[in-house]
Amino acid sequence: MTAAAHEAQSPHQDLHESTGVENRKLAMWAFLSSEFLFFGALITNYLLYSGRDFATGPKPSEIYDIPFTSVSSFVLLMSSLTMVLAHNALSRGDQGATRTWLLATAMLGSVFLAGQVFEFTEFITLENMTLATNPSASAFYVLTGFHGTHVAIGVIMLLSLFGLSKRMGGLTNRQFLNLELVGLYWHFVDIIWIVIFTVVYLLTAVPGAS
Amino acid sequence: MADEHDVAHPTPAQYVKIAIGLAVLTAIEVGLFYLNDAVQLGWINTAALLTLAFLKFAIVVGWYMHIRYEKAAVSRFFTFGFALAFSLYAVVLISFGVLAANR
Repeated sequence: MTAAAHEAQSPHQDLHESTGVENRKLAMWAFLSSEFLFFGALITNYLLYSGRDFATGPKPSEIYDIPFTSVSSFVLLMSSLTMVLAHNALSRGDQGATRTWLLATAMLGSVFLAGQVFEFTEFITLENMTLATNPSASAFYVLTGFHGTHVAIGVIMLLSLFGLSKRMGGLTNRQFLNLELVGLYWHFVDIIWIVIFTVVYLLTAVPGAS
Repeated sequence: MADEHDVAHPTPAQYVKIAIGLAVLTAIEVGLFYLNDAVQLGWINTAALLTLAFLKFAIVVGWYMHIRYEKAAVSRFFTFGFALAFSLYAVVLISFGVLAANR
């Protein structure tokens, strides 16, 4: 029996035996769940240092540009909308709209990343706050940089799906799960930023600094 | 928890409405930040900002990540990971006195 014929006869071969959820999907949820511990550690690390005073350089909370970060947050939030619209379009079999929304999501993610590069550049060149300035700065760069790396990986996955769809003339039913997994990852990156924006930026920013 | 295929997912128009709601919540957050800058709201500001963030978090997880439509095993996985991380780091922050600092 060929692989294709076997697949046709066993459409639920990837389902987990007891949960009824596809193994890869369950694995993605488990992975995202474990990521809470990773980001939680980095956010906690930042909070532990943000309340302390240091002899060298400014702390991130003294130099935040809240209006700029608010716009970046809005851009990332809207990328979750375009991602879910891509998922919806593929579930309706609209390949053209799927590609459009995938590309829009990747572009919004890229705009967010460009904003982060701009913010880091300003902090380093204008405010003289580098990774080694003080522990609070280190914690800030590591946390937001780690999140930015996640966004960059997400953009690469989105562009891969877009390229695959373009080359193959559309995504197949089997690739629908790939899009769903990328979507879950993307929304997760968004919810982590929701927490970072509130806890790291809005709650620790020094009054009058922005 | 309902099976993913039992309940109809939101329509594109409903997804847009949800996004508008998220944008409004973000605008309220930023507004609160500046209000707190002008009039020190103290713990009310902290509580309000955390509540708004949690609302946004729950909306994205529930509607965009479709956890409302997933099987119970999925939401258990996710909720357990979140609850574990939240509890662990809350204990760490409390034990280091961060919550008692001048915030």
